[in-house]
Amino acid sequence: MRTLQAMTAEQVGHMVMNKEDLFILDVRNTDNYASWKIEGTNVESYNIPYFELLDGVDEALSHIPENKKVLVVCAKEGSSKLVAEQLVEAGRGEVYYLEGGMKSWSEFMQPTKVFQDDKMKVYQFIRVGKGCLSYMVISGNEAMVIDPSRFSSVYQALAEVEGVGITHIVDSHLHADHISGGKRLADETGATYYLMKSEGAVFEHAPFENHEFIQFADVNLQVLAVKTPGHTPGSVSFLINDHLLFSGDTIFVGGLGRPDLGGKVREWAKDLYQTVYEKVARMADDVIVLPAHYSDVNKEMNEDCYIGATLGQVRKNNEIMLNQTKEQFVDTVASSASTETPPNFEEIVAINRGLMEASIEREQELEIGPNRCAVHHSA
Amino acid sequence: MKSDMILDTKGLACPMPIVKTRKAINELQSGQILEIHATDKGAKSDLVAWAKSTGHQLVETQEENGVFKFWIRKG
Repeated sequence: MRTLQAMTAEQVGHMVMNKEDLFILDVRNTDNYASWKIEGTNVESYNIPYFELLDGVDEALSHIPENKKVLVVCAKEGSSKLVAEQLVEAGRGEVYYLEGGMKSWSEFMQPTKVFQDDKMKVYQFIRVGKGCLSYMVISGNEAMVIDPSRFSSVYQALAEVEGVGITHIVDSHLHADHISGGKRLADETGATYYLMKSEGAVFEHAPFENHEFIQFADVNLQVLAVKTPGHTPGSVSFLINDHLLFSGDTIFVGGLGRPDLGGKVREWAKDLYQTVYEKVARMADDVIVLPAHYSDVNKEMNEDCYIGATLGQVRKNNEIMLNQTKEQFVDTVASSASTETPPNFEEIVAINRGLMEASIEREQELEIGPNRCAVHHSA
Repeated sequence: MKSDMILDTKGLACPMPIVKTRKAINELQSGQILEIHATDKGAKSDLVAWAKSTGHQLVETQEENGVFKFWIRKG
């Protein structure tokens, strides 16, 4: 018997990670689909707004392959269920709807172990729907969380499984595309929360200006805050044990962070040049870059199924990081500056500074959409 | 704004506001105005896109205490 089934964001996430075949019928408005959708190596999608399918799904049927799992997706769930039911009635086999819609997809996080040696263990949390990455570095019986999302319970759950306590929380910069979980997680765990004072947070925190080194646990794990302005004036990166570079929004696997959100693109592009050509240039090729975002999972996920690459690879793939004069660099970055900003970024920044509070419902609404943090350059 | 019919979809979630709007507009003559009340936050962008694709005209929107009001002229 053919019946309609729900698929959770987690199940979709696993299918994307495992590069499984999936056909998505996205029934949101054309504009919403164009700006942000579910993507993956073997994910194929087609968009028809649900209100064009209320009298029948014939138009959709001709676009849906017979031999693939079909997932119907909408903003919250209601419309996708309605359309999916009709597909089942029309005799289609494996039809699913996305439980909780794109709202759930925006929130799902997948933890993956990315590094382990005798001193530490590192997990990357991939927020698949938004392209946001956060991390947990575990050493001894302590853990540090880097760029946490607002879903603090996810980090607490992993800490509990690992039998460690979260003692340090760091944000690489003031996020503009998502609500930071730093303050929340610090309040819940009593951990110290570090952020650049220059980013303008009004709550109490430990400023990186006074903490260039952070050490914790029995193991001598060194966290070096390499000040890397560019994306925002208070951006930092973290170099751990001279081997892992948590690059925030300064360097991505596929390119550099965009320095144009503050409206001073040329000035900040010069800072970014300084960072890339003077600080990062001195680091070894085998340093592993672990960024706070990605934009294309197909290109940026490596063979070990996490988002990251060696610094050598990143340099090789991004000509902008090598052999450019300061002038050329600033011109390239300025000309590629996008006019598209992350949705709702001004309100998100105000919340992350502690200037504004929002209900969970409002936080969900603000975060829906793409991250738009990378410089889209042709180089 | 004067309307020829008022449709209350308060408390209903997507897709119901659009489903009911489609039904209601069928009962009107071309040029007449349908006033819709909704609480679903997705209703606005959906009504805009729906009106555009069906040739009706969204003439005005208002928000009052969490209730969205829309006036649509039948095309």
